[in-house]
Amino acid sequence: MERRVALKNMAAAMGAMVVMPAWASGWNTKAVSAVGLLDAGKAETLALVVETIIPKTDTPGARELGVGGFVEKMVKDCYDAKAQAGLSAGLDAVEAISKKNFNKSYADLTKQQQLSLLEGIDKGSDADLKGFLGLVKNLTIQGYTSSEYVMTNITHYEMIPARYHGCVPVKK
Amino acid sequence: MANFNIDSKKARTYDAIVIGSGISGGWSAKELTEKGLKTLVLERGRDVQHITDYPTTNMMPWEFEHRERLPREITEANPIVSRCYNFKESSQHFFVKDNEHPYVQDAGRPFDWIRGYQVGGKSLLWARQTQRWSKYDFEGPARDKFAVEWPIGYDDIAPWYSYVEKFAGITGNKDGIDALPDGEFLPPHDLNCVEKYFKEQVAKQYKDRHIIIGRAAHITEPKQIHLDQGRAKCQHRVMCERGCPFGGYFSSNASTMPWAMKTGNMTLRPHSVVHSVIYDDKKQKVTGVRVVDANTKEMMEFYANIIFVNAAALNTNLILMNSISSRFPNGLGNDNGILGKYIAFHNYRATVSGEYEGFLDSTTDGKRPNSGYIPRFRNVHQQETDFLRGYAAGFGADRRTYNDRSGFGESLKENLAQSKYGNWSVGSHMMGETIPKESNYVALEKDLKDPFGIPQLKISVAYDDNDEKMIKDYMTQVSEMFEKAGFKNIRTHDNGRNPGNDIHEMGGVRMGKDPKTSLLNKWNQLHAAKNVFVTDGACMTSTATQNPSLTYMALSARAVDHAVKEMKAMNL
Repeated sequence: MERRVALKNMAAAMGAMVVMPAWASGWNTKAVSAVGLLDAGKAETLALVVETIIPKTDTPGARELGVGGFVEKMVKDCYDAKAQAGLSAGLDAVEAISKKNFNKSYADLTKQQQLSLLEGIDKGSDADLKGFLGLVKNLTIQGYTSSEYVMTNITHYEMIPARYHGCVPVKK
Repeated sequence: MANFNIDSKKARTYDAIVIGSGISGGWSAKELTEKGLKTLVLERGRDVQHITDYPTTNMMPWEFEHRERLPREITEANPIVSRCYNFKESSQHFFVKDNEHPYVQDAGRPFDWIRGYQVGGKSLLWARQTQRWSKYDFEGPARDKFAVEWPIGYDDIAPWYSYVEKFAGITGNKDGIDALPDGEFLPPHDLNCVEKYFKEQVAKQYKDRHIIIGRAAHITEPKQIHLDQGRAKCQHRVMCERGCPFGGYFSSNASTMPWAMKTGNMTLRPHSVVHSVIYDDKKQKVTGVRVVDANTKEMMEFYANIIFVNAAALNTNLILMNSISSRFPNGLGNDNGILGKYIAFHNYRATVSGEYEGFLDSTTDGKRPNSGYIPRFRNVHQQETDFLRGYAAGFGADRRTYNDRSGFGESLKENLAQSKYGNWSVGSHMMGETIPKESNYVALEKDLKDPFGIPQLKISVAYDDNDEKMIKDYMTQVSEMFEKAGFKNIRTHDNGRNPGNDIHEMGGVRMGKDPKTSLLNKWNQLHAAKNVFVTDGACMTSTATQNPSLTYMALSARAVDHAVKEMKAMNL
């Protein structure tokens, strides 16, 4: 079943009281995402993929930190048409694999299923797909580790060190 | 109407005009205004006021939407400036985009012309390394029989090095090396454990090779003269190319320009593209400059007794070549036809890297806007290799950290929060002297005009066999030094960069003793037009291996001192 149909059905079943998330209505009209490279549906899949790569634990995951939008922005502005097409095709492939293996949209998989799907791509033999995942993973790590939350709360970035000591003991 | 014209001309008349506000122009302006001369400073770009016009200076890393990487739209439209290491999201507004000032490269001889058109010029962007030349550098051309003999030696410039060092604020260690004279230093930065170890190993193995901490234009301990400039101690942010809100490093914007403004004697005119220097055939002297207003494209004239041409090396050549009169049909002061010739640069093509497995219980703390330095050791006292001259080198060690980036999910997230220490990485890059040659030149491309109606500059500069031999020797020698120190995984690399990418282009208006073979005398005056002074990179007879800016500062201050003395003696 098409996911948007499922959502519509679900909405109907619940008496049309479900407020459709913005991305879903966008998806219906094939509107582009806020960044403007992907359509809203693919941007949502990308947000789910980056969250699988770096999930919410007792600290925010990549999705909450806006890393999906960062990955899309970087690919849109800094990468060539081939990489952009690869991102789009890769996200389609993630959905296709999800349907094929689990008969569900990637969004409806359990976290463990999402994880094993990405691991399957990583260990697989499809070079294009591995290239897609490698790009998304690298940019996800970049976006996450350079996010305000992580640099402020986890890695404790110092804007103004005001010192240089050439030889100090490694902290154990 | 006649009276209006006279008044208008009077309003456009100054004691001195300085063309350019970068490192050398800023110094010329400071010295002229301090000596009481009403001085007009012409800058082709916009004004950049210290601090207020540094838009990115306090931005956090996550505030750059591409995390310092530049969008393809910019890099593809600007392939030349995009090859500059310092052209990035936080600093791109201080660089000239390729199409803003086109130039012509000779077929098969690519040259990356990197420019900064704003008040302060490239002094906002420079690498801030400031080493003195030694007597061996000034003696080079005469000893090795290339270019022409320098008309000055180390003793002529040494007091001026001291003079500019005290004001600019130079950190360094007094190392007592005759090939790299000590200066007026503020306290040095630390060498780290592996750099100190390498220093000791090299000292044991080689009697004439030294590893020292770099000498750099950073205030490590402010003196009153720095506080008087409104500058403070360097805070080790290492974001210098954004402009420093502390004035921790020397730039025209933080130092010489506000100092000159404070005298009340400076008029700063941004958006003023100098077309040419005016030679009055009737008066038989230079009387001023022609300027194209960058906003209105209107041509106007300004007048002065003394002109300092500090437009940056190649633009200074362009201005003089475009200054045509009956007396000087081939460019101002160009009676011998060598204006624009003997351009040279620094050979930055090679690097050597490696790792060290010692000191694994140690690391560094904080950041350092400086690195280690290997002064030139080749052919210093006599010729000993199959190439002329030599190279200095940067050297640095760094305890790298890394994260396990394998896998996906919670384990990856945990690993990203836990940095691990690897081996120390060590690296070096060469800074080779190149030999000025007639065949490396710039000329006017008269049929092609820039956006201001001024002929474009044609640049024809390339490496030669001497440079190739020097690259090989650098790789061999530094690899050997690394091996002897027990470094592992030693790798050499030729980065293939184009001439010009070093941003140390020099020459074309060289100094010399003989008007038949040089353009400038020992005071940086045009032999044939004594009230015109050139004290930027264009004046350089040879290049040595040192980062050149400190020498331009010293030559500028020295030339102004001479100019004002000559003016008072009614000789100008």
